[in-house]
Amino acid sequence: MAPKKVEPKKPEPKKEEAPAPAPVPETPKEPELDLKSVPLEFTADQIEEFRDAFTLFDETPTGEMKIRYAQCGDVMRALGHNPTNADVLTVLGKPKAEDMNTKYLDFETFLPMLQHVSRTKDQGTFEDFVEGLRVFDKEGNGTVMGAELRHVLATLGEKMTEDEVDRLMAGQEDANGCINYTSFIKHILSG
Amino acid sequence: MSSFSCLSAAARTMKAAVLIQRWYRQYAARMEMRRRYTWNIFQSMEYADLQDQIKLYNFLGYLMDNFTPSSSERNLISHIFRENEVCRDAEWERYFSYTNIDVPDIYSGPRLTFPLDMDQAADLVEAFKNKQQLHSRYVLQLLLETWKLLRVLPNINRVSTCHSKEITICGDLHGQLEDLLLIFYKNGMPSLEKPYVFNGDYVDRGKDSMEILLILFAFLLVFPGDVYLNRGNHEDHIINLRYGFTKEVLNKYKLHGKRILKLLQKIFSWLPLVTVIDQRVLIVHGGISDTTDLALIARVDRHRYVSSLRPPKKKTPSRTNVYADSERYVEMIICKNRGGSLTFPKPFDARESFQRRSLQDFSSTVARTLEEEFEVRRRQAEFSLSSFSKSHRILSSALSSDSEPESSEFTDTGNDEWKQILDLLWSDPMSHKGCIPNEVRGGGCYWGPDVTEDFLNRHSLQLIIRSHECKQDGYEFCHNRKVLTIFSASNYYEVGSNRGAFIRLGPDLVPYFVQYQATRMTRGLSFPQNVKRTEHTALKVLREQLFVHKSDLLSAFQEIDKENTGLICLNDWASAIERVLHLDLPWRVLHPQLVSSTTDGKLDYHGWFRDLALKKPSSEHIEQTMLETLYRHRSTLETIFRIVDTDNSGLITFEDFRQTLKLLSAYLKMEISDEVINELVISTDTNNDGSIDIDEFMEAFRLVDKSRLERGKSLLKLMQDNQSLPQETETPRTVYSTAPQTSQCPASQPADPPASNTADSACSQTANPPVSQTADSPGSQTEDLCHISVVVPPQ
Repeated sequence: MAPKKVEPKKPEPKKEEAPAPAPVPETPKEPELDLKSVPLEFTADQIEEFRDAFTLFDETPTGEMKIRYAQCGDVMRALGHNPTNADVLTVLGKPKAEDMNTKYLDFETFLPMLQHVSRTKDQGTFEDFVEGLRVFDKEGNGTVMGAELRHVLATLGEKMTEDEVDRLMAGQEDANGCINYTSFIKHILSG
Repeated sequence: MSSFSCLSAAARTMKAAVLIQRWYRQYAARMEMRRRYTWNIFQSMEYADLQDQIKLYNFLGYLMDNFTPSSSERNLISHIFRENEVCRDAEWERYFSYTNIDVPDIYSGPRLTFPLDMDQAADLVEAFKNKQQLHSRYVLQLLLETWKLLRVLPNINRVSTCHSKEITICGDLHGQLEDLLLIFYKNGMPSLEKPYVFNGDYVDRGKDSMEILLILFAFLLVFPGDVYLNRGNHEDHIINLRYGFTKEVLNKYKLHGKRILKLLQKIFSWLPLVTVIDQRVLIVHGGISDTTDLALIARVDRHRYVSSLRPPKKKTPSRTNVYADSERYVEMIICKNRGGSLTFPKPFDARESFQRRSLQDFSSTVARTLEEEFEVRRRQAEFSLSSFSKSHRILSSALSSDSEPESSEFTDTGNDEWKQILDLLWSDPMSHKGCIPNEVRGGGCYWGPDVTEDFLNRHSLQLIIRSHECKQDGYEFCHNRKVLTIFSASNYYEVGSNRGAFIRLGPDLVPYFVQYQATRMTRGLSFPQNVKRTEHTALKVLREQLFVHKSDLLSAFQEIDKENTGLICLNDWASAIERVLHLDLPWRVLHPQLVSSTTDGKLDYHGWFRDLALKKPSSEHIEQTMLETLYRHRSTLETIFRIVDTDNSGLITFEDFRQTLKLLSAYLKMEISDEVINELVISTDTNNDGSIDIDEFMEAFRLVDKSRLERGKSLLKLMQDNQSLPQETETPRTVYSTAPQTSQCPASQPADPPASNTADSACSQTANPPVSQTADSPGSQTEDLCHISVVVPPQ
């Protein structure tokens, strides 16, 4: 069974990061998150699978089955979910920045967080993704300017670091600094 | 339909950015997970490979225990354990003489004149970079000079960083010349201003071990005060038999290879054991134990310890006869071995009274009568095993000697020293406190942070730098940054698997690291392509492992599936595999890569085996099992062949071959008839003169590529026709993966062996000539395997 859950397609994302004056329905703000009240709906098989993945990210020298707060998002995403960084911080209980690399969570604590995140239905579809890139296709010719994309990704929304952007774009820009976004998408999706 | 159309431009941009960011982060996380499990697979495979070594010891032990008096078998066994000839030094000089070796005019490689100078050393590097081979005359000459120099060096190299010199420290190189060249390129070659310490494991696995040695020895001769070599556990001629260096030398130097190997055997035993910098930093290949004592180390006669498997002989008679640590650690293996061994349960239960004879000893006991035999065993039984879980006591209690006058005897001191050296060369750090025998490797210890602390205090040191273990970033700290592992062979498991690194240490003794990764192929690939390529190889190796355990897995599945539905849930599938393979891997995470489809969350396991294979299982279950088992033990088989081939001719007699197979199969509780043995021989197209070419035979056991299949030279086709082996199709990824696979890494094209992927073969790491010098272990650089096939010997 593939770890990735296939979410039903939604025409619009539920949450909207931008303070833009757009006719997009705003998500009602969620009440304070109480993880203890989240019932676990995963099957036993699924939980074992999550445990395997969790162990992969365990970097403690004695294999204590704990991950740092900073890794929480990665593990969730590796398991096929797609929380925003804000989502991750919410389930972690809005920790301080310095806690991210010093505090640990164990598997039992992680599971309800994963459950909660798995409920978020706004994965964003493939079409959305293409649409998103098409926004930057000024000439409508199937290419976007690498520099523009870099700038946007590093300055808007959940900003990406320079390293992250470099990784994303590695080998994608042609001599003119343009990216053919169809192959770009394939590149991303083939992961 | 566009969800963007109703948005303003700014909103559209924002939304797009967010989407891309989220997609990217998920992509990166999945990539990271794959990178991690790929690494785990390789490490597990290496562990499995080390288990192979233990299998070898087990088998040898079995032979010692269970030889029958029949003359033919006894000949074989004494063959295996025969004493090395003992010569005086003068005789050795004559044996290694090179003066009669002519160098033809046509030879275009370097012509060395001694004493060597810096330019010649640099020329040598250049020549090897250009794929030239040094003529055997110069090889022997260089090695002789090296031997002479090493004999006057102390056990402990002492270096100082005065004169503001930075010292460069390199870890394992394992025959990977590209990495050494890269280090010299980045850092400069050794010189008076640029001292170097090389921390062992120069040879085995890689294909240019000889060249690395020659370069290092040349620089040692030119700059004896600025080049320091430590011995590693692979500087050992028996280990070399198994891991490829012996084969490499014999292939490159067909006429004089044997002598070169003999000389190297001596040179290895004369390599210094450790290096100490400024009396503050210890550099040693493996590590330490709770009994490591540098004062004792300084005093040992290191050259007496030729191989980990052969403890030294002392001529001084002693009433007590202490058996060597080699037996002890073999003993440890038996006692501590996880689950017996990787692929089969412990063949004999009463292993605790395992042989304490050294391999060397054994030859003298061949002639023993039954009565003498009983006496020895009775005395041995009086000896009690120490408890290994606590402290690491040396088995120094007296064992009575057998009555042979030439039996190996040495004192407690000999035993102590032996253990000290083994610990230095074989140990690994662990995170728990204490010190326990290293049962994975079969030698040395696992030592904890408290042992480090204690050791450093006792010797007034501040840091231990060691190698011996592959690290993804080329280096890694542990034990509160008091122990530093440095590993200099990049792409050790596979192209892209890890970086190599070296250390620069100045007078402040703060390590500064330089990381690198050899081969242009890596630099040309993006990070995700790197991950995919490495993952591809890892998975292929894993599927091979699954396939060769098919019979055991099937039994395990059927045990769970009592109602014979043919279906099994994921969890049970994973547990069964864990039980059979003993590999600590995240099977549930790997599931999508190994299984193509499930129904209602259950796997049709017969179908799965069919996917791994081509045809329905035949009724010849027994043959299948036998072949699988032999295949799994191929490296043990090969090593035995090479030990038996005492004149290193590459050939063994049919009788020895037959005996070896029979012994191995008896040990594995497997029936192997003479007919089958004959078939095996015939199918490998060996010479008809009663001798068998070891390489040719072992080739038959390799998973071959398509071209070899066409040459009809492989044995495994038998498996394929009956049960079939994993067939890599033209688009391998789509068969196994459930995620959309739209990009193919170029290396996955089945028709191309990796060598052809790089236009620049100078940098190729994975080119393997058909007569490969590496033993067939997954940890070695494997060819890109696309077809697995075998010639069918008629039943």
